[in-house]
Amino acid sequence: MAVLIETAAYASRWRSVAPAAKALFALAGMGAAWIAHGHAMLALLALVQVLAALLGARVPPRTYLAVALAPLGFLGLSCLTMLVGPDMQGAWRWNGALLPGVARTALRSLAVLAALLGLVLSTPLPDLLALLRRLRVPELLLDLMVLCYRMLFVLRQAWDEGVSAQAARLGYGGWRQAWRSTGLLAGQMAVQVWQRASALQMAADARGYQGTLRFLAAIHPQAARQTALAALAGALLLALALGDRL
Amino acid sequence: MNPVLELRAVDHAYPDGSPGLRDCSLALGRGRRHALLGANGAGKTTVLQHLNGLLRPGGGALRLDGRPFDYGRAGLAALRRRVGLVFQNPDRQLFSAQVEEDVSFGPLNLGLDAATVRARVAAALDAVGLREQAGRAVHHLSFGQKKRVCIAGVLAMEPDVLLLDEPMAGLDAPMQLELAALLDRLVARGVTVVLSTHDVDFAYRWADDIHVMAAGRCIASGPAPQLAARADVLGAAGQRPPQVLQLHAALVARGVLPDGAAPRSIDGLLDLLNHSLETTHER
Repeated sequence: MAVLIETAAYASRWRSVAPAAKALFALAGMGAAWIAHGHAMLALLALVQVLAALLGARVPPRTYLAVALAPLGFLGLSCLTMLVGPDMQGAWRWNGALLPGVARTALRSLAVLAALLGLVLSTPLPDLLALLRRLRVPELLLDLMVLCYRMLFVLRQAWDEGVSAQAARLGYGGWRQAWRSTGLLAGQMAVQVWQRASALQMAADARGYQGTLRFLAAIHPQAARQTALAALAGALLLALALGDRL
Repeated sequence: MNPVLELRAVDHAYPDGSPGLRDCSLALGRGRRHALLGANGAGKTTVLQHLNGLLRPGGGALRLDGRPFDYGRAGLAALRRRVGLVFQNPDRQLFSAQVEEDVSFGPLNLGLDAATVRARVAAALDAVGLREQAGRAVHHLSFGQKKRVCIAGVLAMEPDVLLLDEPMAGLDAPMQLELAALLDRLVARGVTVVLSTHDVDFAYRWADDIHVMAAGRCIASGPAPQLAARADVLGAAGQRPPQVLQLHAALVARGVLPDGAAPRSIDGLLDLLNHSLETTHER
C-alpha cells in the first residue's frame, strides 16, 4: 500500500506543486466537510475532491480505488454497525430511523477521505515532511518519520531479496517449508534491523551528526501563486459549505 | 612532507574479541592517490573507520597533520570536517528519502547557511552527474546512482581527505571510469584520496601509493610502481602481481618490447606495443 501511494505521488501531475498549496486545499476540503450539513452538498464536496485528484493531479483511477478500498471498507463496516444492532431486548434489528444520520456521517467521512487522498496521492512523503518541518513539528518526531520511511524501503528490499533467495532453494515448496522459511527470514530481519540501525548511526557520525537530522528543504518557485490559487479554491469549498449550513 | 593522516602501531579488537588491526602503521601523503590493497577481511574497512574517527584504537595512535589526534567532541567534529568517508553499501549510508536532502545532511552539520549548502549540494551533484536526479526518491535510484549520491554527500562537505570503501564494487565499467576520472579531478584540486580495493590491477593503474594489508597489518607501503613489483609482498597478502606487469615482462623476455619501465595499464601496454611494432616496421 505504501509503495502504491508513493508511486502515485511521484507520478502525479501535481508532484511539483508547492506542498503548502496542496495541504491548504486539503485542509479547506476537510473544513468544508465538517461545516456542510446537507447530503447533496457533502456528496458534491466529496465528488469535487475526487475529481480534483483524478483529473487535476492525474492519479490513475485504479490506484485511487485500490488505496481508497481499505478506508471504504472500514467506513462501510462502521455504517453497518450503526444501522444494524441489538435492541433493548437483545434482538437484532434494522434501525431505519438512523439512516439519514448515518448517510450524513458516511458522506462527511467520504469528503474528508477524498481531501486526504488528494493530498497524499499527489505529494511524496519527503515533501510532506519538509512542510511539517516548516510548520515547526517537533524535530524528534520528524527524525523518526524520516528514518521509518527510509527503513521501510530498505527493509522491504531486504525482505524481497530474502524471499527470492529462499524460493530459489525451494524454501516455499510446501506450506511447511513456507512457514519455516518465513520464520527464519523474520528472525534474520531482526538482526538486519539491528545491524542497519547501527550502520546508519555510524554513517551519520561520519558526516558530522550532532544529534539532529538536518536536511535542506526543496524550493518551489511558484509557491506563492500556487498557494493563492489553492486558497481561492479552498475558500470556494468553504463558502459552498457555509451556504449549505446557513 | 608531513603526512596528512597517520596510523602508528594501531591495535583494534572487535566487540566479540576478534582482532581487527594488529600493530598497523601507515602514513598518507598529502594530495596523493592511495590504495589500501588486501583480501576480504584484511582490515581495510577498519583502517578507514579509524581514519575518520569512527573507531578508536585500542593501542597505538592516529595522528593528524603530524600531531596526536584528540578524540574529544571538538576534535572529532574537526576530523570529520576534513576527512570524509564513503561507505561500501549505499543503503547503509543513505537515510534521507530524497537525493538532495541526503546530500545536504553533511554540509548542514558543518553549520553552513542554507544558501552555501544549496550551492555545495548543486556542485556535488554536478560532480557526480546527478543534478537531474536531485528531487528523486533515494529508493527509486539504481545501485550505481545510490553510490554516486553517497559520494556527493561527502563531496558536499569539501573534505581535504576523501576515504572510499571499495568504491568500484558493484559499478559497471563505464561508471568505474567515470568515478576514476572524478577522483582524478579531486586529486588535481589537492584532495587526498584513499580507497580500499582487492583489485591489484586497478590499484596499480590508479594509485600513486599502495598500502598492502594482510590479517589486520599493513605489511608494506610505497609508490605503486615499486610496490607492485614485489611479488613476495603481494603474495603474502593473497594477491598476484598486476597482469600488465606480467604481460610486459613476458613481452620483454621474448624480445617483443625493449626493456624499460612497465606501463600502468593494458591500454598503456597496447600503445607501447603499437609504437614498438611501428618503429620496427619503419626500420
